[in-house]
Amino acid sequence: MPAAVWVSVVTAAASRFPQPQFDSGHTVPQAVHPPFTALMPAWADVLILASALAVAAWLVHKVRARRWLLVFSIICLAWFGFVRQGCICPVGAVQNVAVAAWSGGGLPWAVAGLFALPLLAALLFGRVFCGAVCPLGAIQDLFIISPQRVPRSADAVLRLVPPAVLAVGLVYAIHGAGYLICRTDPFVGFFRRSAPMPLILTGMAVLLVGMVVARPYCRYFCPYGVLLEWCSRLAWRPFAITANDCINCRLCVGTCPVDAIVVPRAAPGDAARRGLFRRFVLMLALTPLVVAGCAVAGWLMGAEAARAHPAVIVAERLAQTPEAETDLHPEIEAFRRTGRTQEQAVADAAVMVSRFRRGCAWAGAFVGVLMALRLLGMTRLQRRTLHAADRERCVACGRCFAACPKNRNGADVPVDRE
Amino acid sequence: MREWEQETTRRHVLAWLLRAGAGAAVTAFAAKAAQRPTADRMVWQIDPRACIQCGRCETECVLHPSAVKCVHGYSMCGYCKLCFGYFKSDAARLDEAAENQICPTGAIIRTFIEDPYFEYHIDEPLCTGCGLCVKGCTHFGNGSLYLQIRHDRCVNCNTCRIAEACPAQAISRVPASSPYLLKERL
Repeated sequence: MPAAVWVSVVTAAASRFPQPQFDSGHTVPQAVHPPFTALMPAWADVLILASALAVAAWLVHKVRARRWLLVFSIICLAWFGFVRQGCICPVGAVQNVAVAAWSGGGLPWAVAGLFALPLLAALLFGRVFCGAVCPLGAIQDLFIISPQRVPRSADAVLRLVPPAVLAVGLVYAIHGAGYLICRTDPFVGFFRRSAPMPLILTGMAVLLVGMVVARPYCRYFCPYGVLLEWCSRLAWRPFAITANDCINCRLCVGTCPVDAIVVPRAAPGDAARRGLFRRFVLMLALTPLVVAGCAVAGWLMGAEAARAHPAVIVAERLAQTPEAETDLHPEIEAFRRTGRTQEQAVADAAVMVSRFRRGCAWAGAFVGVLMALRLLGMTRLQRRTLHAADRERCVACGRCFAACPKNRNGADVPVDRE
Repeated sequence: MREWEQETTRRHVLAWLLRAGAGAAVTAFAAKAAQRPTADRMVWQIDPRACIQCGRCETECVLHPSAVKCVHGYSMCGYCKLCFGYFKSDAARLDEAAENQICPTGAIIRTFIEDPYFEYHIDEPLCTGCGLCVKGCTHFGNGSLYLQIRHDRCVNCNTCRIAEACPAQAISRVPASSPYLLKERL
């Protein structure tokens, strides 16, 4: 390809030292710039994701064998992780979609497709994306060695982190403070096989924790998981432990690494029912307090969050740096070249801080609403007769299939106990 | 008997309505966001006019060494003997000895053309994108040395870490069909 086709010339500054006329007839060489070559067109990525979701749904609902799910998740880890280097992924695409929806900027159809496909798959078949397609899930799944039950109270608190990350991440993205969700992806360094040391260490720490707390990133951080949980809750064909009728043999209970199997529960008696109702009323009364409290907390943390925004960084640097040291800071050098005054910078920063405060207050309110809904959910009068997978928590890894004696797949015999 | 084999109840109809609503919402949201689809793929690039050579390109990129390299716009070069992109300001002698070079990795190759002119090439595999030569050339020379994201190395992250760290906001997305912002004499 001739260089001129894909070259855009930005400047032709006046030269301090004019180029010489060479007596020796030397010709000035032309620099070579390697063009951008995509491994494949963008639509192919979307098509591959859609096919992978279809295969995962088929494995979860028809083949129903853990080993094939494992094999497929390793294939997906290799492809989406190590070949495609984990970028752009549906988890991060949330931000692109939010930014495009907020600011009305352009968004490639492929990115919108990457964002929507796993959610639509979850609406139909549960979180099949998490179980076998997502490379972040797959790499953690390989490290599950001895999963321990997370104490209920710790679990309840930690499960509020993903919605908080989602909400704050979107506030960052739409206000131009960078993509927090991408920055906090612990495994992308492994996929690229090149990363700053803190990122590599974080990734290794998450994997090590994942040996005893299964899939810590999925359960207690992944912001996209929040949306997947909502969709999975409404799933048309949710993940089923057994292809037949559950006989309450309890063999599956210990097999779930993410504590997603709910066990039968008797309907509450009259006394318990009254107690639950009192609790329900109490929680309902508390709801506005919880939401308002979280919103205020968000508003208070907004100023801190805003410190990631370039306008605020510049204003802070200008305020903190003594006159003699201003040359040391690139922010100040860049700011001076814009020819703007310090007052303008401070005003810009103030606007940004107030935007972040507002955004983080909304984010806090969102977390507060989820918290209140979970508190109310704890008082629900629910009778369950069978063992089943929790629609929200189940990541469709398929470890419970083999434990079920009623599973129709002949190869998956029940675990032999004693 | 499992949930979906039972006869249709109000609960099922409601579930279907919710499901369809959620599906429509996801699709509509994605479609709304992609209302103005970008025709071309976009890639990251440094605008050399905005670059202040702070040195973060070398350290902030997710790749080590960075995807940013120094490139040479030969048509702007003055072929100076005393090149401010090649020699340290306190260089004892104007020769190729390492202690006289500004480049920490010796990635600039200096070739004699004719008296008093020298040509400067970048040995890209050695270049770390630190921008020290660019600073010298831009401040005291013609500015023919400048930093560019090399698309044989850049993995085109969803968000460019250098762009987030850049104090001058010099990095933005450009169409993949013209992925460089070059300095050349017109």
